[in-house]
Amino acid sequence: MANKGRERRPDAPNSMMLRRTLFLLSVCGVAAFAVLAARLYQLQIVRHEELASRAAAQQVRETTVSAPRGTIYDRRGNVLAMSAGVDTVYLSPAEIELYGEDAGAIARGLADILGLDYGSVYEKTQNTGSWYEVVARRIEADKAAEVRAFKEEGGYNGVKIEADTKRYYPNGSLAAHVIGFVGTDNTGLGGIEAKYDKYLSGSDGFIMRSTTAAGTDMLLGSWEDYFDAVPGCDVELTIDATIQYYIEKHLAQAVEDYDIQSGAAAICMEVDTGAILAMASLGNFDLNDYQTISPGAMERVDAEAATEAERAQLIAAEQQLMWRNKALSDTYEPGSTFKIITLAMALEEGLVDESSQFFCGGSVSVPGRGTPVKCWKAGGHGPQDLTAAVQHSCNVAFVNIGRLIGEERFYDYAEAFGFFERTGDTSAQLTGRTGIDLGGESGSIWWSEDVFCDPENLSQLAAASFGQTFNITPLQLITAVSACVNGGNLMRPYLVSEITSPAGLSEAHEPERVRQVLSEETSAEICAILEQVVGDAKEGTGRNAAVAGYRIGGKTGTSTKTTQEIAGTKEYIVSFIGAAPADDPEIALLVLLDNPGSGSGVYVSGGQMAAPVVGKMLADILPYLGYEPEYSESELESVDRAVPDVTGMGLDEARAALAGSGFECSAAGPGGTVTGQLPAAGSVIASGSEVLLYAGTEITGGGTVPDLTGLTYAEARDALAELGLFVSSDRTAGADDARRVSGQDFPAGGTAAPGAVITVTLYDNDSELLGIY
Amino acid sequence: MQYAATQLGRGVVRERKDTRSTRIDLPFAALTLLLLTIGVVMVLSASYARAYYSAATGHNAAYYFLRQLGFAAAGTVIMFALSRFPMSFYRRMSFPLLAVSVALLALVPVIGVAEGDARRWIDLGFTTFQPSEIAKVALILYFSALICRYRAAMSTFRYGILPFALVLALILGLLVLEPHFSAAVIVVAIGGVMLFLGGARLYWFVGVGVTALAGLGVIMLFFPYASQRIATWLDPFANTSGDGYQIVQSLYSIGSGGLFGLGLGQGRQTYMYLPEEHNDFIFAVVCEELGFAGACAVLLLFAALIVRGYYLALHMRERYSFLVTAGVTTLLAIQVILNVAVVTNLVPCTGISLPFFSYGGTALLIQLAEMGIVLSASRGADI
Repeated sequence: MANKGRERRPDAPNSMMLRRTLFLLSVCGVAAFAVLAARLYQLQIVRHEELASRAAAQQVRETTVSAPRGTIYDRRGNVLAMSAGVDTVYLSPAEIELYGEDAGAIARGLADILGLDYGSVYEKTQNTGSWYEVVARRIEADKAAEVRAFKEEGGYNGVKIEADTKRYYPNGSLAAHVIGFVGTDNTGLGGIEAKYDKYLSGSDGFIMRSTTAAGTDMLLGSWEDYFDAVPGCDVELTIDATIQYYIEKHLAQAVEDYDIQSGAAAICMEVDTGAILAMASLGNFDLNDYQTISPGAMERVDAEAATEAERAQLIAAEQQLMWRNKALSDTYEPGSTFKIITLAMALEEGLVDESSQFFCGGSVSVPGRGTPVKCWKAGGHGPQDLTAAVQHSCNVAFVNIGRLIGEERFYDYAEAFGFFERTGDTSAQLTGRTGIDLGGESGSIWWSEDVFCDPENLSQLAAASFGQTFNITPLQLITAVSACVNGGNLMRPYLVSEITSPAGLSEAHEPERVRQVLSEETSAEICAILEQVVGDAKEGTGRNAAVAGYRIGGKTGTSTKTTQEIAGTKEYIVSFIGAAPADDPEIALLVLLDNPGSGSGVYVSGGQMAAPVVGKMLADILPYLGYEPEYSESELESVDRAVPDVTGMGLDEARAALAGSGFECSAAGPGGTVTGQLPAAGSVIASGSEVLLYAGTEITGGGTVPDLTGLTYAEARDALAELGLFVSSDRTAGADDARRVSGQDFPAGGTAAPGAVITVTLYDNDSELLGIY
Repeated sequence: MQYAATQLGRGVVRERKDTRSTRIDLPFAALTLLLLTIGVVMVLSASYARAYYSAATGHNAAYYFLRQLGFAAAGTVIMFALSRFPMSFYRRMSFPLLAVSVALLALVPVIGVAEGDARRWIDLGFTTFQPSEIAKVALILYFSALICRYRAAMSTFRYGILPFALVLALILGLLVLEPHFSAAVIVVAIGGVMLFLGGARLYWFVGVGVTALAGLGVIMLFFPYASQRIATWLDPFANTSGDGYQIVQSLYSIGSGGLFGLGLGQGRQTYMYLPEEHNDFIFAVVCEELGFAGACAVLLLFAALIVRGYYLALHMRERYSFLVTAGVTTLLAIQVILNVAVVTNLVPCTGISLPFFSYGGTALLIQLAEMGIVLSASRGADI
C-alpha cells in the first residue's frame, strides 16, 4: 500500500478506501479504455471499407455529362441528324443563400437574358433547400455567353451553367418518319433514332465532385473524379437524301393536285439488295419541332375540342397520326399491283407463257361465289395474249390465271414472297412482316389456310389473284415486287448500311437474301411484260408513267377498301409500282395515294393519278443515278431542250444557233446584235418554242399565268408564248397530243416574270384508260 | 507524526489544518495541458467548415477555435491559481458552493435558455453555462467533506447514506425538471462512487442498482422517446436520415479514418454532415482525421491522466484530498468513457461532452478548475 512503512494518521484514507480506489482505477482507467479501443478497432479497421464508402457516397454530387449522340448520315454522307453542344442554366438557391447573393437581381438578370417571367425565376431562387433548380434547358450559344457574362459580372456562385447536347435535323422534315426524333432526355422516340438508340446514344459521362452537406464545394480536401462520356456511334442510312427529296416533292405535289384525303406514301428500293433509298409518308413534320401538328390538324382540333383535356387528347391523337409511317405501319389491299405476283407464280410454274391466250367477256364465275367476278372494263377485253392481259390489267384473265395456279400453290407462293408465315394452325388467320430495321412495322392480314384452300369456295383465290381481300403493307409489296424483277431473290429490306464507332470501327450491314422465290428467267420475263405496261403508248394502262429516253416497267393499282365498301362508302387507294431501268432494274418505286378527293377533276385510278407521279419521280431519279436518256426517233423530235446562249451574237447567227437546237425565234429592236434573250440560256423548254431576242430594246413580257389544265403540251406552249412565258414538261418530253396537262408548278392566276419557265404535269386521258384497275 | 482531532459528537470529527506544502504533481499537469492543446487544435479542425459556411459566425473559419483558445488560456490560469489554494479552503467552501449550485439549478427552469424541450443553460451575456457542471464538482467537494465528517459512521444508514441520499435527491430532482438526463446519470454515478469510496456498505449499491433498473423501466414506460432511442441504438442504419442520422454520421466519420486517418484538417464529414462535430461528437472527427492510431493515442493520454489521478489519490496523506482527487478523476473518467461510448454507439445516444476537447467555454473552465483542485491536493501526496 501507498502508505506502507509510514506512520498512519487517523484522517488518512483507510485500507478499504484504497482497495476501492484500486478497483476504480482498474475499471475506469484500464478496462473501459480497452473496450473502447476494441470498439474503435472494429469500426476503423474491420468496418473501414464499408463505412468509408458509405461516407464517400454521401459526400459526392454527380453531374452527368451527356454523351454526344451519333450522327445519322445518308448513303452519300449528307448529315440527316446531328447533335450540337448547348447549355442548360440552373440555380443553386442554397448557395445564393449561403453567400448572401441578391436573389432579386439574379432573377431579374436571368429573366431578361432568357426571356423568362421574373416571378417564376425568383420563386426558384427562394427554394433555399435545393442546389439544383433548372431555369432554362438547351439555350443557344449566344444566350449562354450572356449568362456567363452576367454570372461573372455579379460574381454569383448561385448561377450555374452545364453543358448538354441538342439534336438538330438540318433537312427539317426530310425523311422524318425514317429518321425519327429524340425526346428532351436525348432518347430516341421514333424511327432510326429509336431503333438504333443503343448505338446512337453512347454512354453518359459523370463528374463526381466532393461536396459539403449543403452541396457546395469543400474548402479543403476537395476532390473530383471524371468518367468520360463515350460518344454514340454514327449511323449511315441506305437513304439517299436527294432521291428522298425528289420523292417527297412529287408526292406532296400529288397530294395537292389530287386532293388526297388520307395521306400518301412512297418507297424507293434498291431491288438487288433490299436497301431503302427513300421512304416517305405524308403529311410529314419538321423533326426540329416534332410536336407541332399541321395547321390543318390544329383547325380540326379547335373545331372539335370542348375542354382543355379533350383538346390535349385530340392533339395527342393528331400527333400519333402525323408520326405514323404509312409506308410500313398501314396495311391495305394492294389491288392490281399484286397482279405482278400472280403473274410471277404462273410464269415460274410454267402455266402460262407469252403465247398464252385469254378471253375476257367482262365477267367470270367462280365456284363458291354467288355473283361472277366482273372485269373493270364493261363488255370485257375480248381475246388477249398474256402481255395484253397484264397491259389491260384484266381481272377476268387474272382470275383464270389464279385458277390455273390453284389455291394450294398460290398460298405457298404468297408465303414464299413474305406476305405471311404459316404457324401450324391451319384455321388461324396469318400475318407476316418483312423484318426491316425500323420500328412500327405492321403485320399483314391473310386468310387462314382452311378458308383460302377450300376447293369448294375459290372466291378468296379469285379476289387474291387481282390483289383484293387481304391486307399487306406497302413495304411488303415493294419487297415482293423487287424479288420479281431482281432475278427472283426476296431480300430483307433495310435502312442502316453501316455503323461506325467513335474509334472509327465500322460494321457494315450486308444485304440479306431471305430466299430465292423465282428463277432468273421468270424474273426477266416479268420485266419484259411490265415494260410493255408502261412503254406501250396504245395498250399500256401504265403509260402515264413513261419517261422519254428511259425504259420503265410498272403496274397500276386501284384498290377499293373492302371495309369501306361494306359500310356503303366507296374509298380508293390508287397506287403504282415501277421498276427501272426495265431491262435490268436497279430500283423499284411504289407510290400510294390514299383516298383521292373528287375535286381534282382527274379520273380516280392508279393509272391516271399514281402513274404520272412515279413517272415524274423517275424522270428526276434516273438521271441522278447516272442513267443517260436514250431517245427514240419520235422522242427526239419532241424532247425538251436547253436554250443556247445567243446574247452578243448577230441576229442571223443567233437565228441559226436557235434553229439548230430546234427552237424558233422572233426578234425585236433596232439593233443588229442580240442584247437580251428570253428565256435565259440553259433553260430547258419545249422544243419548237419561240425564243424572244432583243436587239437594243428593253425586255418586256411576263404576266398572269393562265390555267393550263386540259390543254395539250403544244397548246400550253402557245398559250404561254403570247405572254413571253415558256413551258417544260416534268418528264422531258410530251408532244404526244393524247396527253393533257393535269397540273402546273406555277399556280394559275399568279404573276410570272418575263421568260419564266412553267413546268406542267402531263397525263394521258384516253378514255380507253378510264377504269378501276 | 502528530495529529489532533476533536470528538464533537458521535461520528463527527474535526481535523486540524495540514500546513505542509509541497509541489504540484507535474505529470498530472502536463497530461492535462497536452490533452487541452490537442483538444483546442481539434476544435479548429472540426469546426472551421461549419464556421466558414455559417452566416452566424460571419463566415470566420476560426470563430469557434479562437473562442475556445481564449477559454483554454483563461482555464489554464484558473487551474494554476486554484492549485495554490489549500485543500482546507475547498473543504470550507464545499457547502456554500453546493448551496450556490443548487440555487442556480433551481433558477434554470425559470431564467434558463431553452434549447429544444429542455432548459439547461444560463445566459451570462458573453457566454452561457450549465449549472449542472458546477453541481458535479460541488457534489464531489461536499460529499468528500461529509464523508470525512462522518467517517466513523459511514457504515450506518443514518450517517453513511441518508444525508447523501437527500442531497443527491435534491440535485437529481432539479436536473429532471430541466430535464437533463445525462447530467443526472453522471451525478448519480459520481454520488455513488463517492459513497463507494467513503465506505458505504456494498449491499447498498446492490439495492440502489435494483432500484435504478426499476426506475429505468418506468422511464421507458413513460417516455416513449427513451425506447425509441434504444431502438435507434440497436439499429442506427434503419433510419439513416431520421433518428439514426447523427449516430450513423458519427460511424461514417470514425470508419472513414482507417488506421492513420485522412490527416488533420482533411476530414470530410466535418462539412456539415456530422452534427455536433465540434461539441459532443468531436471524438468522431479525431477518429476520421487521425485514424485508429491517433484516436488510440488520445485515449491513451486520457487513460494516463486518469491512472495518474488515481495514483495521486492513493498517495494522499489526507482523506479529504484523497476523496476529492479520486472523485474528480472518476468524474473525468466517466465523462470520457461515456462520450466515446456514445460516439462509437456502444451506448444509446445522449449528450455528454468530451473533457478538454468539446467546444464550450464554461465547461472547459470548470474542468480545468477541477484539475486545479486535484493539483492543489497533489501537494499533499507522498510520492
